[in-house]
Amino acid sequence: MIKEFNIVIAGVGGQGVILMSELLGNAAVRDGLNVRGSEALGMAVRGGSVSSTIRLGEAVLGPLAPTGKADVLVAMEPVEALRNISYLSKSSTVILNTEKVVPFTVSSTGSTYPELETIIENLNRASDDIIKLNAAEIAGEAGSAQSANVVMLGALFGQGQLPIKIETIKQQIEARFSERLTAVNIRAFDLGYEVCRKVLK
Amino acid sequence: MDNLTFASDAPGERLFMLGNEAIARGAIEAGVQLAAAYPGTPSTEVTETLAEVAKELDIYVEWSVNEKVAFEMALAASISGLRALASMKHVGVNVAHDPLMTASYIGAKGGLVLLSAEDPYSWSSQNEQDNRYIAEQAHIPVIEPSSIQEAKDMMADAFSLSEEFKHLFMLRTVTRINHGRSDVTLGEIQRERRKASFVKNRQWLNYTPAEARLNKPLMLERLEKIKEAVDTLPYNRLGLRDGARLGIIACGLSYSYTMEALDWLGVGYKISVLKIGTPYPLPEKLVRKLLNSVDEVLVVEELEPYVETHVKAIAGEDNIPVKIHGKDMVPRSGELSTRIVTEAIASLTDSGLPVDFKKIDELSRETAPLLPWRPPAMCSGCPHRASHYAIGVAARRVARDSGKDIEPVYPSDIGCYNLAYNPPLEAADTTICMGASFGIANGLSHIIDSPIVAHMGDSTFFHSGIPPMINAVYNKANITMVVMDNSATAMTGFQPHPGTGQTATGEETISLKIEDIARACGVGFVEVIDPFDLKNAIDTFERAIRFEGPSLVVSRRLCAMIEQRQKRARGEKTVPYRVDPEKCNDRCNACFELLGCPAIIKEGNKAVIDTSLCNGCGVCAQVCPYNAIVQEQA
Repeated sequence: MIKEFNIVIAGVGGQGVILMSELLGNAAVRDGLNVRGSEALGMAVRGGSVSSTIRLGEAVLGPLAPTGKADVLVAMEPVEALRNISYLSKSSTVILNTEKVVPFTVSSTGSTYPELETIIENLNRASDDIIKLNAAEIAGEAGSAQSANVVMLGALFGQGQLPIKIETIKQQIEARFSERLTAVNIRAFDLGYEVCRKVLK
Repeated sequence: MDNLTFASDAPGERLFMLGNEAIARGAIEAGVQLAAAYPGTPSTEVTETLAEVAKELDIYVEWSVNEKVAFEMALAASISGLRALASMKHVGVNVAHDPLMTASYIGAKGGLVLLSAEDPYSWSSQNEQDNRYIAEQAHIPVIEPSSIQEAKDMMADAFSLSEEFKHLFMLRTVTRINHGRSDVTLGEIQRERRKASFVKNRQWLNYTPAEARLNKPLMLERLEKIKEAVDTLPYNRLGLRDGARLGIIACGLSYSYTMEALDWLGVGYKISVLKIGTPYPLPEKLVRKLLNSVDEVLVVEELEPYVETHVKAIAGEDNIPVKIHGKDMVPRSGELSTRIVTEAIASLTDSGLPVDFKKIDELSRETAPLLPWRPPAMCSGCPHRASHYAIGVAARRVARDSGKDIEPVYPSDIGCYNLAYNPPLEAADTTICMGASFGIANGLSHIIDSPIVAHMGDSTFFHSGIPPMINAVYNKANITMVVMDNSATAMTGFQPHPGTGQTATGEETISLKIEDIARACGVGFVEVIDPFDLKNAIDTFERAIRFEGPSLVVSRRLCAMIEQRQKRARGEKTVPYRVDPEKCNDRCNACFELLGCPAIIKEGNKAVIDTSLCNGCGVCAQVCPYNAIVQEQA
């Protein structure tokens, strides 16, 4: 068994971050791995920032990825990637959905949203390895904007480091959704996977 | 095995579970027959999980009106011979504190377990409370898991321990256990169901002074036996290393952080570790063994220095020459983490840090100003937003008309409406605990001149709003009480309550009307409004505030999230609103500045409604002075 593999998933309440963790965790257990994870619930879900951790391997005990120890940061939203910069080190990979979710505070309280370039420049100070894709657009191609989270899941598998079989995660997607939504989500997964493979080439 | 669930009778199988599902599974494995609770993050899913299988497994599960009743329910089952669980968040234990103090004199017949789900860093709470102190004060032994697997195992074992020692036990968890996830190996499910029998025994169960005097020494004897037994419980483990200079005592989840830190630093081979699974009573023999074997000890525990203080007392009693660290090295506020423990151990062992934390902190600090603020917000279409807005307009009007230099005061309570704390509404001035909005309002009414409009939710009203309402009537407090009735315990995930007409297990029941209760309690002004009808809402709030004496307004509108779910189920479409850019005045900003709805965004200087977020409540259309917001055609 792999010793330790830490995935941090960041996004905004409603983007399906928790669902991604559940799919990953279930798949990992099926593949015989130890799994630990944690998520922010309660106050944090109402439109606020959400982050979730999934940790795999024989050495993982605690529920949280330690500072500077994420292998992959999957960011459903650019600013949320930056908010979780403390998990990153030079050996981390960031998979970034470039589609912004601008918080209402930018309209009502004069808070500002940075340019995408600024966000990426700053992420680069922690890690050079950033895979960018617009998961919202890709999800639209797959048939539902709601499946951007599964596009990102596909990209995470496309990145190639994850010690979970693709077949196992697909079984989890099938078990989770109705027949119609399974088709959309499997398409979303495959497109995310392909886009990530292409970026890496 | 396929289709494995938390209720599967499949010993040895592994399943990926939420901490609270695992805790519920532990109770199921132990054959729990009664589970009562009041919702509260991070404890809620334990009872929700049990409610799902209540009928199938013949468990009586209820959402009680508050934690005191929930605990008394469980106590009643235990003295009648059944295994029973009361679950609550840390501050819920305060509400149940009164019966707890006498329950320990009774002990237990059927296994009795109190789950205290605590919240370091106050993720969803008003404070960080360490209930190990309450447990010690109430003479209730505490079991504390280091992992989710252990949480499940301990919950199952707690019932047997409770019966073995005829005493009740507390399982103390933290958010990262309750809301963590882990693979869990399932155990066997106890399916045998006992027949409850209440045997009258007033010497044991009826506490006049004589019984207190009789039973306290017996209770202390039980505790002494438990104290003797904890050293050999598997939850407490001492790993001595030859020649170790440093020892670590790690309580609960801190043990996981500690073992990861030792591995990260590569110093595990030279440090002795005592894992604590029963902080009260402490395994004193193991503590003594460790203290006598090392020069220095670090106590790692979240929140207060509970174990630390007791370990220092043992060292002092035995004159053991050992330096004991604890809260001088790890913080008393917030959660611990592998990083925090790594830094503490590194500094005590002169080890190099595995990661340049300072550099990471610098980077976080430097990038923080770039981050837009994303606070938790009331949902688009949330009826509370409309209530707050209408209360504000009415109360300011009354304050202005008084001719005095006064500002309305809005005592708030525990629930989603408290999110009005943030701009632009800024309509929640105090939050203390369940029910305190009405209590604080009572106090203020006798000492300041401001209009006082206190608000709480429907579930909170049933939990602890009624006594302070009666107090206002009895003691003539000139306040306005608003019950923002969204027909759900929304913040914790829409649990039913006495006003919803449904029980925890989905049975139909009476639906109590808050206005009926208020009238029956003698409140002189009671009206019910729909907050989405802003004009009438403002008018009613104004009359309520001007009313001499206590007034109560029920602002009733179904929670937007439930409404959306019901609409989807019925196949109904939400018809969103949109802004007519011709009519929108770019110097106005009223819709952003008055409401703060997440669906209204600013593009250029104009308002635009994100139709994917809009729930079609129409409140913004009523607020817009230029009539620029209109509903799309259905």
